[in-house]
Amino acid sequence: MLEITQLTKAFGPNKAVDNITLSVPQGQMVGVIGRSGAGKSTLLRMVNRLAEPTDGKILFGGREVTALRGRALYAWRAECAMVFQQFNLVGRMSVINNVLMGRIFHHGFATAMLQIFGPEERALAIRALDRLGMAHTALQRAETLSGGQMQRVAIARALVQQPKLMLADEPIASLDPLNAKVVMDALRTINREDGITVLANLHTLDTARTYCDRIVGLMEGRVVFDGTPDQLTDRQAREIYGAEADDAFSEGVTSTSLRPAQPVRALEGAE
Amino acid sequence: MAQSSIATTGFVIPPGQDPVSVFEKHRAELLRSRLVMNITLIVLFLALLIVSVIISRFYPERLWNGLPRIFEYFGTVMPSLEADKLFEGRAENGKAVPGSLLFWYSDIGKYVRLLFETILMAITATMLGVALAFVLSFPAARNLALTRWSNILARRTAEVFRGVPEIVIALVLVFAVGIGPLAGVIAIAIHTAGALGKLFSEVNENASMRPVEGVRSVGGNWFAEMRFGVVPQVLPNFVSYALLRFEINVRASSIVGFVGAGGIGQELNHTISFYNDDRVMAVLILIVLLVTTIDLISERVRTRLIGRENLI
Repeated sequence: MLEITQLTKAFGPNKAVDNITLSVPQGQMVGVIGRSGAGKSTLLRMVNRLAEPTDGKILFGGREVTALRGRALYAWRAECAMVFQQFNLVGRMSVINNVLMGRIFHHGFATAMLQIFGPEERALAIRALDRLGMAHTALQRAETLSGGQMQRVAIARALVQQPKLMLADEPIASLDPLNAKVVMDALRTINREDGITVLANLHTLDTARTYCDRIVGLMEGRVVFDGTPDQLTDRQAREIYGAEADDAFSEGVTSTSLRPAQPVRALEGAE
Repeated sequence: MAQSSIATTGFVIPPGQDPVSVFEKHRAELLRSRLVMNITLIVLFLALLIVSVIISRFYPERLWNGLPRIFEYFGTVMPSLEADKLFEGRAENGKAVPGSLLFWYSDIGKYVRLLFETILMAITATMLGVALAFVLSFPAARNLALTRWSNILARRTAEVFRGVPEIVIALVLVFAVGIGPLAGVIAIAIHTAGALGKLFSEVNENASMRPVEGVRSVGGNWFAEMRFGVVPQVLPNFVSYALLRFEINVRASSIVGFVGAGGIGQELNHTISFYNDDRVMAVLILIVLLVTTIDLISERVRTRLIGRENLI
């Protein structure tokens, strides 16, 4: 159970996240939507403390995440995996070692610096890569991969952390539709099979609708929608994205999903 | 070395086979092939190390025996100060009293003038060198050079500039333009241009090409690409390196005086070769103080600049 209480992050006079209260039960897949600058990334980054909150609390399983320091904080980050828009892999390192980074918290100084990982850990990493169809690239350098492949390696890295919570900050914003589908399917599978809570920032509405149990809409740092995909009406979506009432607004325009081609309507009057 | 192994690092997992065991097999193969190379390199390194120790006769006992002689030398150039006369002024006959600070530093006026000259030399040389290095750094960067030949030309120029020690350039220039700071300034500027040209070009090579492409996409020429795509990215780094070079140049300009190219080094050389007494120590202390002060100030400025992003 992830409990966010009155969380605020201010950059000078601007509040990127403004008094957000949110409660996520274990195993839920939550999509966070909103315009760019609505505070989606800041919210996610505060959960694993890559960003420090100005005010408010985050609790996970009764533990106060916002109060953690030192090794306890590293332990929390190890437990709460993060997937980034730009993958954040080490390009000049092999894929397998990138994935094994996910085990770094469990190592002492010497074995970590010298990259000494045991056969069990390697097996864990290979199985994670294999789940994402990437095991065959294990010995290549990460920079030789394509974007979609890199994101799958990044998810494998997150998996070997054996996390309870997975944060995904725009995981598919830099990917083509097919790779976006592969990555979102992977996140969904991980959520279903392993019972890992997934909190994902998504830039397209239809992805959020397709994959998430719950959608949270942010606007100017505040929660303006919180409910199931069915509850999200066109009017509310319009409000979240701040579209003017008479602006054309269609989910299809921003859609990156692959769907069967629409049959072309027969011309009226044509025989 | 690692580049060549990339092609062979991919492998296929036959359907139905355990991915872990397939991976372990390939990993073992890769490690074996690297082991041979690594052992060869280590053996080669150790052999060269032993040869260098023998040739340079770098034996601990030589160092140990020579150590006392260092202190011996410093003993000869130590001032003979006397506690009760330390702050005494000039005697009635207008001469400083032996054992007083005034006696030790009786040439202080000359020293200060030369120290000032040293700093001015370092500033001038750094400015000239940085300007030249800036110009060289763009063609010298592999990713930015317009043609292969301009790249090679810029690189070789920088290499020659930094390859010759500044004291050698100074010696030649003293012969050409005469004794005085001008020779020193030009010598240090040339060396600076070579050294910074290399560092600057490496900074340029690490710059992101995205802004460059952005400027190109709107119809900018090469100069516009450099000015707006690269310079804003690299400028904080350039400034930091230039200040670091300024520190080095303060040291350099206190040395080139040895060959007559101006600065406090001239006086150090003079005191060593003519008197070899406490005046050597007097000058040395001033040089150390000067260099330390400049280092401290410059370090402050550098750390301030590094965090700043709005520098043009």
